[in-house]
Parts: sequence; structure tokens; C-alpha cells
Amino acid sequence: MFEFEVPEVDYTRYSNRQLVAVPLAVLVLSLAVIGGWWAVTGAPVDRGIDFTGGTELTVGTNATLTNEEIEATFDEPVVSVQGITTTSDSTYESQYVVTFDNSTSVSSVRSAAQSSAELSLLGSGTTSPLFGGQNQRLAVIGVGVAFLGMSLLAFAFFRTFVPSIAIVISAFSDIMIPLAIMNLLGIKLSLGIVAAFLMLIGYSVDSDILLNNHVLRRSGGFYESTYRAMRTGVTMTLTSIAAMTVMAVAATIFGIGLMADIGLILVLGLTADLMNTYLLNVTLLRWYKYEGVNR
Amino acid sequence: MSTLRENWRVAVLVVLLLTSAIALFVPGVPPGTSADATNQGSTSEQLTNLNYGIQLSGGTRLRAPIVGITAENVNVTQADSTQLEQTVADELDLDTVDVRVRPISSERSTGAVEVVTKNVTHQELRTALENSGYQPTNVRDGVTPETRRQMVEAVDEKLRTSALSGASVQIVNVPGGQHFLSITAPDRDREELVDLLNERGTVKIYAVYPGGENGSFVREEVLKRSQMSDISAANREGVGWAVYITVSPDAADGFAQRMVDAGFGDGAPCGNYNHSDIQQTTAGESADPALSNDEPGCLVHTLNGEVVTARGVTPGLGKSFADGDFVNDPVYVMQTGSSENPAETANEIELNLRAGQLPAPLDLSEDSGSSLDPALAEQFKQNSLLTGLLAVLAVSLVVYMRYKRVEVVVPMVVTALSEVFILLGFVAFVQYPLNLSHLAGFIAVIGTGVDDLIIIADEILQQGEVETGRVFQSRFRKAFWVIGAAAATTIMAMSPLMVLPLGDLSGFAIITIVGVLIGVLVTRPAYGDILRNLVLDED
Repeated sequence: MFEFEVPEVDYTRYSNRQLVAVPLAVLVLSLAVIGGWWAVTGAPVDRGIDFTGGTELTVGTNATLTNEEIEATFDEPVVSVQGITTTSDSTYESQYVVTFDNSTSVSSVRSAAQSSAELSLLGSGTTSPLFGGQNQRLAVIGVGVAFLGMSLLAFAFFRTFVPSIAIVISAFSDIMIPLAIMNLLGIKLSLGIVAAFLMLIGYSVDSDILLNNHVLRRSGGFYESTYRAMRTGVTMTLTSIAAMTVMAVAATIFGIGLMADIGLILVLGLTADLMNTYLLNVTLLRWYKYEGVNR
Repeated sequence: MSTLRENWRVAVLVVLLLTSAIALFVPGVPPGTSADATNQGSTSEQLTNLNYGIQLSGGTRLRAPIVGITAENVNVTQADSTQLEQTVADELDLDTVDVRVRPISSERSTGAVEVVTKNVTHQELRTALENSGYQPTNVRDGVTPETRRQMVEAVDEKLRTSALSGASVQIVNVPGGQHFLSITAPDRDREELVDLLNERGTVKIYAVYPGGENGSFVREEVLKRSQMSDISAANREGVGWAVYITVSPDAADGFAQRMVDAGFGDGAPCGNYNHSDIQQTTAGESADPALSNDEPGCLVHTLNGEVVTARGVTPGLGKSFADGDFVNDPVYVMQTGSSENPAETANEIELNLRAGQLPAPLDLSEDSGSSLDPALAEQFKQNSLLTGLLAVLAVSLVVYMRYKRVEVVVPMVVTALSEVFILLGFVAFVQYPLNLSHLAGFIAVIGTGVDDLIIIADEILQQGEVETGRVFQSRFRKAFWVIGAAAATTIMAMSPLMVLPLGDLSGFAIITIVGVLIGVLVTRPAYGDILRNLVLDED
């Protein structure tokens, strides 16, 4: 059976500059994508109906319908029609999620679906622009407070500037990279994704704290400590990535949007975290340990 | 004895697991659940005490703002409030029910005036008040706290009387001063819930009798909602479906007197009643010979303007009005046997009389919510469970590939799962309705849980064998510093979500935080103990 052992990276072969180049380049690139998106669209990331307002219907049918035929059921403009995989015990052969923009009234599209001969209404979700705007404000506050709280805790734990700021930068980058990838893949921001970002803050800090703790608070040489932290930290992150990959794939197939969103963002963010922790964070610690302390 | 002392963490874990099993599986243990499973009808086949939210069992959730604007700091006293209500209503061309004055009282130091309709602007309300000599400091969107409380009570009453089991209503406060009403109704689709809320049903009880000029018929409302003290619909033998209305003691005498004045003192036959032209009323052929020569008269009950029943008065009942017997037993019986569906009509009248109308309308054009078919919800429930199990499997596989030691991996997976089990017990005990976001929270807990267990395992298994308990203790403590710090940051990251009303996410945050706490305080330390036993035994 396949087995893995966390490989020992020979950090001595690379200079600090070489090591930080990759994560910093990725971060800069991500910020450029987000910034460009902001300049062009007016928002750092495309917002889904949780934030702009809009309506989503879940319909089931036993007929074979094209997306166009489903759209034709409604007088209102349809933003998208997305098929969901059904299991053998579902009542309907096919299920679709139909999305409308915020000019649509949920009662009128619901009654259109209910009066359709071929479609059965299974569920609906709606957010008015009023609630959407509010969600957006609260989400920004929530992520902001969480990030600030995490930063303060990081400083409280280590009480030295460089190791603490390394945690903060790495967590920041862990959020920015998935955000940029979302833009490139055309994924819209939902409340589930906001939850995923907050989870990411928690997960990302885990491996950083572990690394800092091993290097700063334990006896032993820098490289030995780093390797021991890596063995544990990489295993941790890989198990989380495995769990989240499975969750993202399964939830996408089953059409459970919230879980699929959380899974996908965490896979992206945790992968970014592997890079940030073991390239950026390690290098900052090495610099601090060998040069920074002596200043 | 010493084994128990050394392994007290494991003991605590076992106790908590047993408690959770009781909370989960023994019917009636969580407060508010019924021990008698047969009593619950369709829910009797439920395996656990878990309470599912609408995303996992179907139903509707609505969140909507309350229509209205409020002028604050209006210096109005109790004595002037009725007058001001009338003046403002006249000025704004509104019905007085849409204007509410909250005068200065023991509970509020400043008065307020609110208008609960959409068509009045802030400026119009301000002008109307200024014309009456009041100077509000500001006019804002939204209604007064009293009205919000009344809204919750009124909606709650509607939900309870409509046999919606498990329905709930609450006010959601958004930082920044906005408030919303959030209503959750399992087993109902959106239309049914909206109908229920919109129903401003009015039941009226009229007497129609020849009291006008030249014996022409007049219609008089004889019993108002405020004069009723108890209302219940029932199907009794010999009567059929009827609404039993108990007239409040201080109004019973007046009601009986009005009936006598209207000529019902000796009973009245009601043969033909036409709501649009009451002059058509005739005595008709009465079944009761005692009434055949009497003047016709009818008691008419209307629901939202439509006639439900129109009946005569038996001599016996008439006599009880006249001689004061009615006052001793002031129960008014409104039979619904003549309507198409007597049971439904009786219940509908009861509901409308009991719940009345909402103190202010809800702005459903600004609502936010979701509605889910029970079948789709069931599908979500199964699929998300499957997703969770697959995630656990993936975690187990990765951990096994890393350690290749069954005695390390099996306790690890079992410990992580027991965390979820205890969390489920907690959720069942507090009867927290589970939704999809909570399941995501469970997966998050497994994730952080396994991460911490890996930290403990690596720390204890590092560099050869653990020879003594003391070495174990020191390594365990080192591992715990990292775990504690990581848990603190996770809790810190999740805590804003717990208080911000961000839909489903609050539940996600609560589950994650409680899970992390259970993990750090109980299960993860216990894993250390288990591992020590297994590792020390080897030597």
C-alpha cells in the first residue's frame, strides 16, 4: 500500500531570498488579480446572491429538458441553470438549481414553477438586496474582527515581532490566494465561503504556531526543529486537505452548495498554507534566528 | 484505584459519551421533548432526539423587516395619546390602527409615535407631529421595541393556533440598529406561511333584527373581540362543530341586554338571510313551533366579510338573555355545521379570533429566506451524512498511511468521532435545530480534532520510546501548549460569526466553538492517556 513520509527539505541549499521569492510572487500575483478585478468590476470578488440579492429555485423533473426549456418556463430573466446529480432514491430523475437576479420576486417564480406541468418545485432561497447589503457589511466586519483577533493572539503567544508577523502575513496570504483563484475560476462569494475563510484563519494558524513553537521554544538546532515541526504540520495539513477534497467533490455532486464551497476554498487555502508556512514562514524564522536576533 | 486516577481523563470521556448517548437516544430526556413517542404522530419513528432544521427536514424560513417609521422623543403623555393618535391619523389620512402613540410611562422615559404603513415619508410624519405641537428629535425607519415584542407575540400565537409544530419566531437584531422578524416553520411551504401571516382575518358577530323605521331590518355588531375571554373550537356530541366563545364577565351583562333590546329575548327564527340585502330576511318555516309567529331575527357570523352562518335564536337561549341566566354561564356557541367544511371553518374562526391581526405588516418584498421540500431535505440529510463519512474515511486513510500503526490510528479516529458524538449529544440536549451549516461545523471539528491528535501523537512518539510516565507528562504538556494556542485562535476566528446575524453561519460557528472546547477540554487529553497506556504496555 502507498505510504508517505514527510520528506526532509534541505533548506541550507537555498538563500532566504530564493525561498521567499515563490510565496511572495504568488501573493503579489493574487493581489494583482484581486486589485485588477476590483478596478474593473468595482468589487474585489464577484458576489453571489447572498450578497447582491437574488433568488434560487431547486426544481425536479422526470422529463428530459434542456436548460433553454427550463429557462422558458419563467418570464423572469434566468441567470443560470445548473444540474444536480440525483441518487437512485430521489423522487425525480433530474434536479436543477435555477438562479434569478435581485429584480425577481420569489413568489412569482415560485408560482411559475408550481404551475409548470413538467417541473416540480423542491425548494427556494431568496435574499433581498437589503439583506444582501447587510450580509456584505457583516461579513466584512466578521472577517476583519476575526483576522484582527487572530493577529493579536499571535503577538500575545510569541511576543516577538518577526515570528508573530510571519503568522499574520502567512494567514493573510492564505486568504488572498483562494480569493484570486475564485476570480479566475468564476466562483462567486457566498456566505459559505465566508465561513470557509474564517475556518482557514483557524487552520492556517495551527501549523504556523506549531512551527514557531518548535523553532523558538524548544531546544535543538533550527533545521532539526523545523523538520520535526514539518513532519507534524504537513501531516496535519494533508489530512485536512484530504477531508476537504472529499467533502468538496461529494458535496458538488450532491448539489449541497454550502459544503461544496467550504470544501473547495479550504483545499485551495490549505494548499497555499503549505507553501506559505514552509517557504515564507520558515525563511522569516531562519532570518530572525540567525540574523534578526543579533541586531 | 490508581489506574482510575491516572486515567481520569479517559474516565471523563467515557462518562460524557454515556451522557451523550442518553441525551441522543432516550426519548424524553432533553427538556421539551415528549417521552411518549406514540404521542408525536409522524415523528414517532424518529431514532434520535435530534432536532432538524428546515434544511434537513423541509419547511420554510422567512426573514423580513417590519413596515413602519418611528418618530422618537415625542413628549406625549398617557392622557394625550389617544387624541394625538386620532389627529395624526386624520392628518396623514390613515386608519387609527396604523398609527400608534407610545406615551411616556414607567417603562419609557421619552414618548414615540410610529406609523405602520408604507406610504408615509419621514417628513410627513414629522410635519403631522409638528402641526400638533410636538417636536420629535428624529424620525427613523423601523418600529418601537414594544411593537416588535407584540409582533413576536402575535406571530407566535398565529403559529401555535395553526397547529404548526416546531415553528418559531424571533427578532433578529443587526448591529447598526436594524431589526428583522425571523420566522421558521417546518413542514410548510412559503405560500402557506405567507398566507398565514397575511391573514388579517376579522370575525364579526352581528344581530340582524327589525329594529329600524317601519320594521325595516338593521344590523348591529353585538359582540366584539375585546369582549371575549376564551375561544375554542370543538366538536361536541349533539352540537357538531362549533366555536365556543366565553364572553368576559364584565361584558356578558351588556351583551345579554343588547340581545334583549334587539328583540331576541323570547327567541327569533331566521329562515332566509341575505347579506347584501338584509331587508329580505324572513322568518321562514321554523322547525320550532314556539317561534312560528315571532318576528324574524338572525345572529350572523362573518369571517373577512363573508357569512359563515346565520341562525335564529332558540327560545331557551333567548330566555337566558332575558332573565340573566346567560351571565352565569356566558358561553356563546357559534355552530358551523351549515358551512361546507364545519371542522375547518370552526378552526379558522378560532384562529382568527385568537390571533387577530399583526400589529404591523411585514415587508415581504424585502424578505430573505428559504423553503425546502421535505423530500429534498431528506436527500440533503442523507447525502451530507455520506459526505461527512467519506471525509472521515479520507482522514483515517491519510493518518494510517502516515503512522502505519493500528494502535495509534484507531484511537485517533475513534477519539475524533467521539468528539462528534458528544457534540451531537449536546445538540440533542439543547434541542438545537440542525442544519447543513452545522454539519459543515462537524466536519470542521473533525478536522481540527485530528490535527490536534496528530500533534499529540507526534510529540509522544518522537525519538524512540516513552520510558516513564514523567517523560510522557512533559511531552504531553508541550503538545498541549500548541493545541491550546491553536484552539484559542480558532475560537477567536469563529466568535464574530456567533454574534453577527449572518444566516446559517451562526450555527456553524457555535458548533465549531463548542466542538473545539469539548475537544480541548475532554477528548484530546483523553487521547493522550489512551496512547500512553498503549505505548507503555508495549514495553
